[in-house]
This record gives sequence, structure tokens and C-alpha cells, in this order.
Amino acid sequence: MKKFRIILLAAVSCLTGCGNWLDVVPDGVATLDMAFNSRKQALKYLATGYSYMPKNGGADDPATLGGDDIWTRRTTHFSNRFSLAGLDISEGLQNASAPVLPRWNRMFEALRVCNTFLENVDLVPDLPAWEREQWTAEAKVLKAYYHFCLVQMYGAIPLVRENMPVDADVYAVKVQREPVDECFNYIVQLLDEACQGDMLPTIVLDPASDYGRITKPIALSLKAKVLVTAASPLFNGNNDQATLRNHDGTPLFNTEFRPEKWEAAMAACKEAIDICHDAGIMLYKFEDAANRYNDTTVLNVTLRNAFNSRSSSEIIWANTQMISTPTSGGMIHASMPKLNPAYVNSNDICKWLGMPIKIAEMFYTENGVPLNEDKTRNIGDLYNLRTAQAEDKLYIRQGRTTVDMHFDREPRFYAWVGFDGGVWFGAGQYNDKDASSLRYLGFKIGETDGTEGQGNWTGYIPKKFIPYEAQLNAINNISSLSYAWPIMRLSDLYLLYSEAINEAEGPNGANSSELFRYIDLVRARAGLKGVKESWNAYTNNQKYNTQAGMREILQRERMIELSFEGQRFWDIRRWKTAPNEYHTPLMGWNMMVSTIDGTEEEVNKLMYQPQLLLKQEFGIRDYFWPIRTSDIEVNPNLVQNIGW
Amino acid sequence: MQFFSFLGRNRCVPPITSCLLFLKITAFLIIVATLQIHAKGVAQTVRLDISNGTVTALIKDVQRQTGYAFLFNRSDIEGLDAVSISIESDDIHEVLTESLKGLPLDFLVKEDQKVVVLKRNESKLKRERLLKGLQQQPTVQGLVVDTSGTPLPGVTVSVKDRANMVTSTDLNGRYVLQVPDGAVLVFTMVGYQSVEIEVGSQRQIDVVLEMSSSLLDDVVVVGFGTQKRRDVVGSVTSVSPGNLKVPSSNLTSALAGQAAGIIAYQRSGEPGQDNADFFVRGITTFGTNTNPLILIDGIELTPNDLARLRPDDIQSFSILKDATATALYGARGANGVILVTTKQGKEGPAKLSFRFENSMSAPTQTIDVADPVTFMKMHNEAILTRDPLGTILYSQEKIEMTEAGKYPLIYPANDWKKMLFKDYTMNQRSNLNISGGGGVARYYVAGSFNRDNGILNVDKRNNFNNNIVINNYDLRSNVNINLTKITELIVRLSANFEEYRGPLRGGADMYNLMVHSNPVLFPAYYPADEDFQYAQHILFGNFNNSKINPYAEMVRGYKEKSRSQILAQLELKQGLDFITKGLSGRGMLNISRLSQFAVNRAYNPFYYEISRYNRLTGDYKLFESQIGTEYLGYGELASEREQYSSFYFEGSLNYARDFGKHNVSTMAVFQARETLTANAGSLQLSLPSRNVGLAGRTTYSYDSRYFAEFNFGYNGSERFDKNNRFGFFPSAGAAWLVSNEGFWENIKPVVNNLKLRYSYGLIGNDQIGTAIDRFFYLSEVNMDDPGRRAVFGQEYNTYYNGITINRYANPYISWEKSYKQNFALELGLWNDLSVVAEYFTEKRDNILMTRSSIPSTMGLTATPRANVGEASGKGVDMMLEYQKSWNPDFWTSARANFTYATSRYDVFEEPEYNEPWRSRVGLSLNQVTGYIAERLFVDDAEAAGSPPQYIGTSEYGGGDIKYLDVNRDGRITEADRVPLGHPTVPEVVYGFGVSMGFKGFDLSVFFQGAARQSFWIDAAGTAPFINEAQILKDYADSYWSEENQNVYALWPRLSPTLNSNNVATSTWFMRDGSFLRLKQAEFGYTIPQRLSERWSMSNLRFYLSGTNLLLFSKFKMWDVEMAGNGLGYPNQRVFNLGVNLSIN
Repeated sequence: MKKFRIILLAAVSCLTGCGNWLDVVPDGVATLDMAFNSRKQALKYLATGYSYMPKNGGADDPATLGGDDIWTRRTTHFSNRFSLAGLDISEGLQNASAPVLPRWNRMFEALRVCNTFLENVDLVPDLPAWEREQWTAEAKVLKAYYHFCLVQMYGAIPLVRENMPVDADVYAVKVQREPVDECFNYIVQLLDEACQGDMLPTIVLDPASDYGRITKPIALSLKAKVLVTAASPLFNGNNDQATLRNHDGTPLFNTEFRPEKWEAAMAACKEAIDICHDAGIMLYKFEDAANRYNDTTVLNVTLRNAFNSRSSSEIIWANTQMISTPTSGGMIHASMPKLNPAYVNSNDICKWLGMPIKIAEMFYTENGVPLNEDKTRNIGDLYNLRTAQAEDKLYIRQGRTTVDMHFDREPRFYAWVGFDGGVWFGAGQYNDKDASSLRYLGFKIGETDGTEGQGNWTGYIPKKFIPYEAQLNAINNISSLSYAWPIMRLSDLYLLYSEAINEAEGPNGANSSELFRYIDLVRARAGLKGVKESWNAYTNNQKYNTQAGMREILQRERMIELSFEGQRFWDIRRWKTAPNEYHTPLMGWNMMVSTIDGTEEEVNKLMYQPQLLLKQEFGIRDYFWPIRTSDIEVNPNLVQNIGW
Repeated sequence: MQFFSFLGRNRCVPPITSCLLFLKITAFLIIVATLQIHAKGVAQTVRLDISNGTVTALIKDVQRQTGYAFLFNRSDIEGLDAVSISIESDDIHEVLTESLKGLPLDFLVKEDQKVVVLKRNESKLKRERLLKGLQQQPTVQGLVVDTSGTPLPGVTVSVKDRANMVTSTDLNGRYVLQVPDGAVLVFTMVGYQSVEIEVGSQRQIDVVLEMSSSLLDDVVVVGFGTQKRRDVVGSVTSVSPGNLKVPSSNLTSALAGQAAGIIAYQRSGEPGQDNADFFVRGITTFGTNTNPLILIDGIELTPNDLARLRPDDIQSFSILKDATATALYGARGANGVILVTTKQGKEGPAKLSFRFENSMSAPTQTIDVADPVTFMKMHNEAILTRDPLGTILYSQEKIEMTEAGKYPLIYPANDWKKMLFKDYTMNQRSNLNISGGGGVARYYVAGSFNRDNGILNVDKRNNFNNNIVINNYDLRSNVNINLTKITELIVRLSANFEEYRGPLRGGADMYNLMVHSNPVLFPAYYPADEDFQYAQHILFGNFNNSKINPYAEMVRGYKEKSRSQILAQLELKQGLDFITKGLSGRGMLNISRLSQFAVNRAYNPFYYEISRYNRLTGDYKLFESQIGTEYLGYGELASEREQYSSFYFEGSLNYARDFGKHNVSTMAVFQARETLTANAGSLQLSLPSRNVGLAGRTTYSYDSRYFAEFNFGYNGSERFDKNNRFGFFPSAGAAWLVSNEGFWENIKPVVNNLKLRYSYGLIGNDQIGTAIDRFFYLSEVNMDDPGRRAVFGQEYNTYYNGITINRYANPYISWEKSYKQNFALELGLWNDLSVVAEYFTEKRDNILMTRSSIPSTMGLTATPRANVGEASGKGVDMMLEYQKSWNPDFWTSARANFTYATSRYDVFEEPEYNEPWRSRVGLSLNQVTGYIAERLFVDDAEAAGSPPQYIGTSEYGGGDIKYLDVNRDGRITEADRVPLGHPTVPEVVYGFGVSMGFKGFDLSVFFQGAARQSFWIDAAGTAPFINEAQILKDYADSYWSEENQNVYALWPRLSPTLNSNNVATSTWFMRDGSFLRLKQAEFGYTIPQRLSERWSMSNLRFYLSGTNLLLFSKFKMWDVEMAGNGLGYPNQRVFNLGVNLSIN
């Protein structure tokens, strides 16, 4: 028996020894603490915070395909290259069980990263004080931006002021939505904290490596936008959302209109404009140093470059996390036409993105007023055919027949909209002295972009996405500079300011001159005369004299100037004009024309028959995204948005 | 040499390969020949006439005359006196005693081994004692026959409690054995009742063995040892290795229905990928690991290794099911244990056994698709029915011309099935094993070669073979050496080599491509026309250069994979009777290595399209739409490169002793295991996996009537935090052998055996997360995550990779625990019929699950997990065996197995649903939930007027599936999903079969079935036109169309895009997975012995067998056993011809 005991003892001691044998994990396995061991690692963690920036302008942005300004048909050939999920929103298929293009999860992850950074940035030993301040401010601006992105999409949201521990109590984690006013206040508070003193740089000192990071102009412009949004009808005195309450009865929307919100917005816009000017941000103008081009071309290139050139001087905030590329999946690739007859067989370049007729009609006439108000035009002629003459040759290929509405429009129309017969400056052909050498769009059979069943279903291409130098350099390959998608341009800020003045004081208030000055700056850059001058000369009314009339003018100006940039989607919701806008169905020209042989006249007659593409609807529920049903099931304290 | 040649070189196997093959087989035969070391000998008369000769001369003389081998130390016989002897005798004892008289030499004659041991011994005393001892160990001989009087070869004859005194009967049923005084001889043979006879003064003992039907005396392999069937308290099923001999190179495919307690099914028939899924008593966890522990000769291996094991090499195959049986494997036994031991050599002359089989293999059923013309018409219909203004894809001209069959290159109509696959293929399997040995060493050596072929076509113009070919070589050598009388050393070496060659994409994918390729847009290839007459490549067809040409994909290259696994095992058994009687020790060391690598060799196909044609003359022009390569490219497949090493040590102490009627045994085992994987992929995974454990078993029985057993396992796993690392898993059981009671004597002729058993215990499972999640107590942080990269700088070229958390640390995560309970009844009737019926329950707690109570507003990048789940299972398994020899020429046997296992969620963290049917609690672990389909909508108006269906985002209307609004809230949402049908894993698996033999003929059939199983047709995967899908014939025959608005059609309204409303999981595509199939049938003929002996063979049998011959099921679209995997590589029906011969 004694022997047994010895054996047993030996076995037990052996097992104890084996306890250590089981320690297979060596020291030095990565933990989150390491992110704050050195400046270099902390910078990576800050970058992690940046990496969550929503990818505006792309398949993942609901504003790209989810609105009423861009449309395409669901074809597998395209959907293999570009997610068409956004169409679900545009076609009214948004739903609560699997929301389309939601931001809920990602943004809350991002907020956790920002908070973790803010909690730990003080631990980084080798971080100089000024840099610590700057990074803290950057993280706060990101935190504010992500909250704002959520508010835009969901309205009232739970605020993530601080992180809850991973093993927090199951009841504590079931948070509630906070009223929108509370949300906006908190976002502004964060931005104010970040803008204190000189924590943020006014200009990027090292653009080669830091371009795209938060600066003071960015923070203040964001603040301006946040306050304008907070003051807009959707959030300021919105009775539609009165029934949206937490379970304890707290209303999430304030139904009382507060004019002081517009005053705060106005002040913020001014502050932002001032610092942008200090930082050297100004409306872009193409410098034709070699004096190669005539004025029309220079204006054309100016307008195109203002948005899609990486050297554009008016970009306040470029999203370097969202680069538009000429490769498959990028916006350039998705909208590029072939243009070059040498590559007419290319089946990968199919100008898939189109825009409906109503957007083409939205642009002003050459007189800077809407088509239907321009007394020099006959509204009944718009769809009549007309042949381009020599004076049109830089805009419409001479001798081409197209509808009347394509003639005599403002320069922004020709710079940003491609249509059958429209001249496409650039893409390898730059000699504007010889207009017949320039590229143009041809949708008809046998023409560069006339291949059967390939792409564009409306007859219009959002040319704005494509840099003027972009061209095909091989059968399925586009050569183009890529560009970071602008989140905020100076013209955006100018128009916000004008809008805020008009809303706060009306067109004839104390800041009347400022109001007209900034909108006219934007118009002047587009080659148009001022609002008053244009309306006086070419319309039969002076609507700029009333607040409502001026509002209409400002909204139209904004929709034109910022067309296709992903702003319209949010603006028409903010203004609560979306139901009206969506009321006009999406129409396109008959693009089956590319399969029809016939005389030019016959073909044109067939082509310029508007075709119904999609009838859209917009109800109260469409102002906000649904919260995923399963999220509500996990946390019943969240109330669902109205209508879902 | 030109790579492509159109002269028609059609050599599937390059000459070098066949040459190698030949060499391998030859090497085998040489090994066999050298192993023939034993010669037969007959007792002979010895004549000696030596005067003054040396001892060496004497030895030589005797050796020459008798054939005995002499073992001695040279120094022992040097310098001895000369020998003078003259004798004639037929007793070698007498000869040696007389010859060596007066010399200080002892001798020991081992008659059965024909060995004489000589040893120097100066001590007279000792010498005398030895002589005395020798006299006391007389020789016993005799004959063993069965009840019909036929001699029984191979019966083990041993002296009770003396492990080293053992022999076996020869071919004529005869044995000779030296026995000590007062010995008791035990005669045992599998399938017969053991007999014990006290020797006393008898020198000739003849024995009649009766066939045992109760199998009570069978030795059963249990954890870390063996037990008599009679003594077993736990739940252990043994499968006769013979039942696993099916015409397949995959052992797992034979498991279904063969053993009570196994749930098994096979979903694919692709060579190398055709492992059956199998579970012991079903699945009772929703954690990661549901596989049973597989131990081959005590070593933990994978289902792949089990699949490659040859049934010929298997000595025993046991399934341990309940807590007492598996407790010793505390750490890993929760899902049951499969224990396999390989054969060992037996003392005796070399025995050679050879088996060769050739099989013809063909799919049990293939999928039919609609003809190309129907395809085009239906595709046009699909477009127009959804969008009347849509553009049709196929012009009327194309449809008409295709229908007319004119100009097949311009208007192609491909039957991809015919292009891609052959009708059948041939496979070969061979196995050769030799065993034998003497008193010192025994060996079992086996080699086998299998060749499995796929059914893919090969293009004659390629000079390589893209069909699946798997050559598998297996070598096994088990050697037992008696180092001393009480020390035995066992060396087991086994190696398995597999050479795989197959298509780039794998066989299953080719089947998938067959169904997912457009049949009418392009032909597989064009003949070279005038313009391309000098092309050195195949002119593959394509359309817009955007489609997949399945033929090109198949023939453009091949993949080669090489896998080898080597195991070396050393086991030492030491009797420790000198410490205390009945004590013994054992140590085992095992090292194994697995290595695998794969390469691709392929060319890029040249694609051609028709640029223009004349529809009247059929003239056409080709253009080259993709320029390929005429040479082979090469790619290493890092993902298939695998290297794995494992080390295992086990040491145990055993104690077993009888004290009168009390019988006690106890055992303690210490084990340690380490495995390492190369190419692990991350630091945490690259660390060694380690397990240590101490386990013990104590059994007690009284008078062979009452039995009790206690087991425990105390195990540690490296995966858990220090404080939660070890788990203690005890179990206990008891049994009562009623039929051994005195009062049973009168009932015994009818009920010859009645035994009741009960056990209860606790088992653990440490493999609770996926392999990626190893150390739950550590957080996993990716400090350099390109997925969260941020880009800055004017040229967008400054970037920082992000830091992300893939797992949050949770030090509390520990063992999953299983509480098992088992009730069993064993019944033997009339000595012919035996029944074992068991009822079991199981409760699992601490099941790892993803927390679902954490809202996404927490912003966690990984969802934390915790041991919070609970599940339970219960079921019944039954086994019935019947054996009867009606007369010496005619025997019959029958057997049946039945397993029913069900499971349910007990605790499952989930949101608090308003609808009770959404909760998983109470449902089977393999339950599917979905919508209830009512029928198809009659028209768009009805669809518009019905509750809106928020299922995906597709629009729906007439002819699309209408779902039931279960919660009546006026819309169809997630909340309307209910549990549907039966679980996806069958709850019932059964098998039954009969065998009979008449003279040399034998016949057996075996049926196997499964029930209580549902499966779903993969609606998204089979949806016509989606991903170029063709139309399944059944869909084409029954679908909703505007002309034929059948609201109960098989397929809803056609759509050119995936309609998410119709492909949601619902009752519409649910099918009953029950089936019964004729799994095995075999007819054999054994040549009469007098004939086979004339050809110096002891046994020669020819047989014809078949697998998957008949199938009974309601489901007709494909082999129902493949369930939802219907577009995969089909299960195979095999016809097989084999020969089995053995030579003594």
C-alpha cells in the first residue's frame, strides 16, 4: 500500500508540474495596451478611428444610388462590379429586418474606438504635448462627425459619451435614444472642445503625409453644417415626428420651431467661412497658364476640376478614406463612357450610372434662371428637336440634332452632364480651336457608346465624376487620376451661409448683402450673373424679395452646384422637400435607340420619347432609416422609427 | 516536344508513373518473401554417435537432424570437456540429457517453437532445481473442434493467469503447450464460448468449443485496456471488422447502420472528399466540436485518418458511448469515443492473406437539366414575365436554328454533363498482410494499395490527365517482442502515402459548374479554321469573354497533392507481480507526422468567339477574345500545404486480482499530448496544443453476478486561464448479471443471458471554440490590420494599418461539461439471439456561445462569448444479433441496429421575442426555422392585397411564394419564422441485414436507412439563370407561368435575377430526408479446402459485392442522402469483384 501512495504522490506532483507545461503562451502577445506604448502605435490607433469614415460617393453611400438623381438598371454585368444595394432604397425596398446600407453598427464601433483613444492618449509616453492636444481634438471631431452621421440617418440616437466596459451589466448596456436636440448639443459641444485654442492646425503643414486629417476649418465647417441641419425643418419644429417617444414618454423630437437655431447656424457659417479664408481656401479657378484654351473651355475645366481635381483650392475636407478610382468598383469606372472609337468593343466600360431627365431639367438656362421661368424660352419646345449650329460647337457637336432643352443652358450643365451629341472636352482631345476634333458622346448605333444593351439607361451621364483628362488607354482600361471624394467644398459653405441668413432674417434683413454676396460668388464662378440681375432681366418675377422665394432660389442653387455629390439626398430630407422632389417620376430617353437602324431623324424621334423608369414614393418613414429589428429585440429600450 | 499535339496522344498515365507503380508492388512482394522464415518441422528420430567431440559439433549434429534452433552464449560452451555419446531416440529431451550429462550446462527445450536454450550453470543445486522444474512442466497436447466436429484453427490456448504461456491451434486444430503444475487451460476464440479445463495429470486434452451467440466471452476493447463482455458496465458497441469491409477506400462510408449508437450519413461521393459525417448518439452541443474522439491504437487521430484505415488491418472497432466508458478520456470524450486497434502477430508460422478488388463506380443518380431550347425559351420568358419591356436575350432566329440543330458551332447546344463526365469509372484496392512469429517476437505486417478514379473526362489533345486519381499506399508493421518473461515491447509503425491528382477546381466544383454554365452561348471549343490553322492550342469558346467555359476550366490544368502520414509507436508492458501480485505497468510513446503539399499546373485558355456569320451557309469568322498561354503555368497552393506533428505519452499502472469470488481491478493512467501545426497562420495558433490528464478506473465484481465500476478523468487544457484550466470528471456504474443467479438455472435454456446496467457520469470537452479562437482568456489584437487602414496625404500614399480587437479576453471560459446517464438491458435467448437495448440521457452545460444580449450600440468589434448555453439529448439504441448453424454446411445470421437520438436547447441566450415560436429553447439543435409557404400567389392583385412580405428586397407578385402571417400583424417579417420539419441531422439511423452460408457459398445483404430528417433544396443555388444556372429538369416540368398558373408548381414564377422572396428558407423547398437503401450485398464462394490446399493455399474466396444498389425515398431529384448538397459530386453506386486468399 505504501508503494501505491508513493506512486500516487508522484503522479500528483507530476500533474502539478504539468500545470506549467500547459502555459504555452509566451510573453509578448499583443494586447490593446500596446496601442498606447508609443507615439507610433498611438498614431495607428488614431488612424483606426479615421478608417471608419463613411465612404461617401460610392456603392456604399446611400446617396449614390438611393436617391432620385442617379439611376441604373439592375444588370448582373454591372452588379458584379458595383454593389447596387442603394437601388433598394430608391425603389422603396428599405426594410427593418435587414436595413439597406445601414451605418448603425459601424458608427458605434467607430465611436468606441474614438473613446478608447481619448481615454488612453494620455498614457502615450513619447507624445509631445502639442501633438497630444491635436490628436485629442482630431478624435473629438471624428467622434462628433460619427454622431452626426448617425443623427442624419436615424434621427435621435443613443449618445456614446463614454465607453461602457465589455463585461458591463446586461441591463446597463440597454441604452435609450436621446432627443435630437440633446444629440445636436452634444455634437456641437464636442466640436467646440476641439476648436478651443490652437489645438487643431488651420492648414495642413505637411500635406504630403497629413492631407486628409482634421484641421480647424474642417471642424468649424462641420459645426456649421451640423447647426444648419439642426435648424432645418426636419429637426426644428417637426410635428411629423411628434409621436416618436421613448418608452418612458420622453419625446425625441422638439415640435416647437426655434428661430435662434438659425441664428446660431448663421454665426457658425460665418466663423467657418472666415477661417477657411484664413487658411487660403478659395473658389477654384483653372489656371490656363499656357493660354491654350478659350474662355468657354477654361470655365468648363474650372467647373469640372472644382469637384474632381485633387488640387482644387476650394475643397475644405476631402475624404482620403474614399478615393474615386478608374478601376472596377470606383465611381470613374462606373460612369465613364468609351468616347474613343478605337475601343468601341470594350465591354467593361459601359457608363452604367445615368441620371433622369428631371435632373437635367433642374439646371438653369444660360441666363441663370430655371428653364420654366426663363421668359426667353418657350417651355413647350423643350422636347422639340433642334440641330446644333456653329455657335454651339463647344457644347454640342455641330450638326447633331438633339432636343431643344439641351441648348443654351448654363455652363455647369455642359460641364457636369453628358448627353447624346454633347461635346466631351478632354479624354485625349484638347484642341478647342478645332471643335470637330473634340470627343463627343454618341449613343446611336455604330457610335462610340452605341453598343446594344450596354450601360446607361437614361441618356445622361453624370460627367462630374470623371476628371476631364480621363480616357481609355486600352480596351478595358481607363487612365485617370483618382481623387479623394470631397465631403465639404467652399461653395457648399457659402450656400449654407446664405441659406442660414435667409432663414434667420429673410432676404432683406441686416445681413442681406452678405446673403446675396455669397450666393452670387458661387454663381459668378459658374459664369452666371447675380441673383437679382438674372431674375430681373430674364424672369417675370422677383421672388428673391420674399423669404420663401429666396429659399426656393437658394435650394435650387444648392441642388445644382452640389449635384451628384451626395448632398441632394440629405438636403431634400433636411428641407422636407423630398416628397415633392420624389413626386416627379424618374424618366429617361429611349435608350433602345442603340439597337435601331434608321435615318437620323427617325432615330432621334424614337429616342427622344421620355420613358418611365421608376415611380418613387416618399412617406414620413422614409426620412429616417429603420433600426434593425434584431437590434431592438436585443435592446427593447430602443424605440423604432416611425413607420417601420 | 510540342505541348499540344492533335495527333491524338491519349495516355492517361505517363509511362514513368506506371513504372513506379510496378516498382512499389514488386518491393512489396520481396518483403513478403523474406518474411517466410518459418519452416514446418515434424518430430524425427535422432541418431548420435560421437566420441570425444566438441559441444559445438554435438549441437550442429542435433540441429541438423531435428531442425531445432539452439540459443546460447558462445562463452558458455567454450572450454568444456569433450563429449562421448551413442544414442538413438525420438525424444530430444532424452538425447540432450544423456549428451550433456556431467557438463555444467542447462538446457531448455521449447518444442512448440523448436528452440533449445543452452545456459551455463555451475551450481549443482540450481541445476537440479531446474531439472525438477522441467519435469514439473509437462507438455499437454490435444485437438480443438467445434460442435460439428470440424477442427478449429487459430484457437488461443493459454494457461490461466500466465500471460506468457500461450499458443494457438494449427490448421488441423492441434496444439501443444508446456504447462506448469496445477495449471488451468483456457481455450478462447472470437465467436465461441471460452472453455477452461484443469490440467491435473492429463497429457491429452481434446476440447469441443461451442459457438457463442451471447458474445459474453468476447473481449471488448475499452478505454486503455480490454474487458470481457460479461464484465462491462459501461456502454460499448463493438463492430465486427468484417462488417466494415465495403468496396470503398473510405472506411467512414461503412459506418451508417452498422453500430447501435452511431448516426452517420454521406453527402458526397467525390474520391478523397467522401467522408461520411458521423456522430455518437447524435449531436448534443451547439459548440464547435461535435465529432467523436477517434483513437487508433490509443492515438488521437482525425476522421480523415479513420477513413484511410484498411478494414483488413483492424482487430477491433469499439464505440464508447456512455460516461463510464468515456470518462477516462475526460477531456475529449464528451462526444463519444471510437476506439480502433490494429492487428497483432500471433505465434505460429507465417500466415499470408491477400485481397484484391476491382470496382466499377457510377453515380447513383445524376441531375437532369432542361434541354437548351427550353432553356432559351424559359430565359426569355423569365425576362418578359418580370418586365414586359425587358430585352430578351435569345432571338427567335437563334431558338429556331438551335432547335433545328443546324450549324452547332454558331448555334451551340451543349450537353455539359456529357462533355464533362464519363458514365462510370474503375477503382482498385489490394491488401496484403502477413503475420506470425515465435515465442520471442510476433509480427503483423500489412501493405495495401488503393486506386480511386474520378469520372471526369480528359481531353485527348492535352498530354496530361485532369481526372481525379488517388493512389494510396499504406504500410503497417506491428511487432511484439518479449524482452523478458514479464516484459513485452510492442513497436507499431504505420505509414500512409497518398498521391492525388485532380481538376484545378475539385470534383464537386465541376459538378456545380456543369449546372451553372450557359448551354447555348458558346460551344466548348471550335475546330481550328483557316485563320487559326496554325494555332497550337484548343480554341475554347466564350461569350463576351465574360462567361466560364466549364470544359476549359476542367481541361486547362490539374492539381497535384501529396500527403503522407507516419506514426511510430513504442509500447512497453511490464509485469510487476514482484511488487504485488496482479500489478502491471505500461508505457506508450507515440510520434506522428503529417505532411501535405499541393501544386497547380495550368495554362490560360485561349478564348474564341464568332464575330460574324452567315445564317444561310453557316460560314463564320472567329476572333480571339482572350489570348491565353500555350505553356503550363504553375502555382503553389499555400492553403493546402499542411504540416502537423504530434507527440503523445501515456503511462499506466494496472492492478487486477481475484480474491475468491471477489474480483478487483484498478488502473491509473497518466497521459500528455502535444500537437503542433505549421502554417498555422497566426502566433496564437502556432503555439503547441497541449493536454495532460490523469485518469483512473476501479472495477469490482462479485461472483460474476454483481459488477461496479468507478472512473475519473482529471484533465488540463492549455486553452483556458490558469484558474480554470483543470477539470475533474468522475463517473460510476453498476451491473447485475441476473442470469448468473442461482434461481435462474431453470430459465437459462430459454433466457441464457440477462444483464442490467446503469451508469452516470460527467465528461468534459475543451474544443469549444473554432480553431481560430484558442485562448479565450487572452484578447486577440491585430496590431496591423489592413482592413482598418487609413490613408492620408495629397498623393494618398501615406497610410497606417489599423489596430483592431478580434476577441475580448474572458478568463472565466472553461470546460464544456456533459452529464451522461445510461440504462441498458442485455438479453440472450436460446443461445442464438442476443439483444442489447439502451436508453440514454445527456445534459450539457457550460456550452460556449456568443452573447446575444449585447447590443450593437456597445460598438464591440467582436462579440464576447461565455459558457452559458445548455442542451440536452436523449435516445435509444438497440442491437439485435442472431446466429444459427443448422448443420455443418448451412449457417445463417442476422443483425439489426437502431439508433434514435434527439436533442434540445435548454438554455440559449437570445433576445426576448414577443413570439414564443421564435425562441430556440426546446427545439432540436439541428432545427431549421423559416417561413410557412401557403402556395404561390394567383396574380399580382392578390399579392398586392396580401400582407406585405418583407423578405429580402425583391419585388414579388403573381406566381411568387405566398407566406403565412403567423403572428397576424399584417406583414411577413422575421417574426413569422417558425421551426420547420425535422432536424437536418437524422434522428433515426438504422440498419439490418442477413447473411447465410451453404457449403462454400455465402450471401449477405445489408439495408440501411435514416428517418426523421428534413432538408432543403438550395433554392438560391439551383435558381435558373442565376450565376448562369441551367434549369433543372424538374423545375422546367413544373413551374408557374402566365400560361399555366399552377399555384402549387414546384418552382415559382421565373425571374432573371434572384428573387429573395422565393429563395428564403421556407416549407416550399423543404423535403423529407428519410430513406432506406440496399447499402451492401455480397455473394461469395470459397474454394473447397482440398482444392485450395492443392494449390498450397489455406483459403481462397471469390466474391461479388455492391454498394448503394437500391434506394427507396420520396425524393427523386437526386440521391436523397446528399440532402441539400444535391449539386455536389454524386454518391456512388459500386459493383465490385474481389478475391481473397490466404496461405499458411
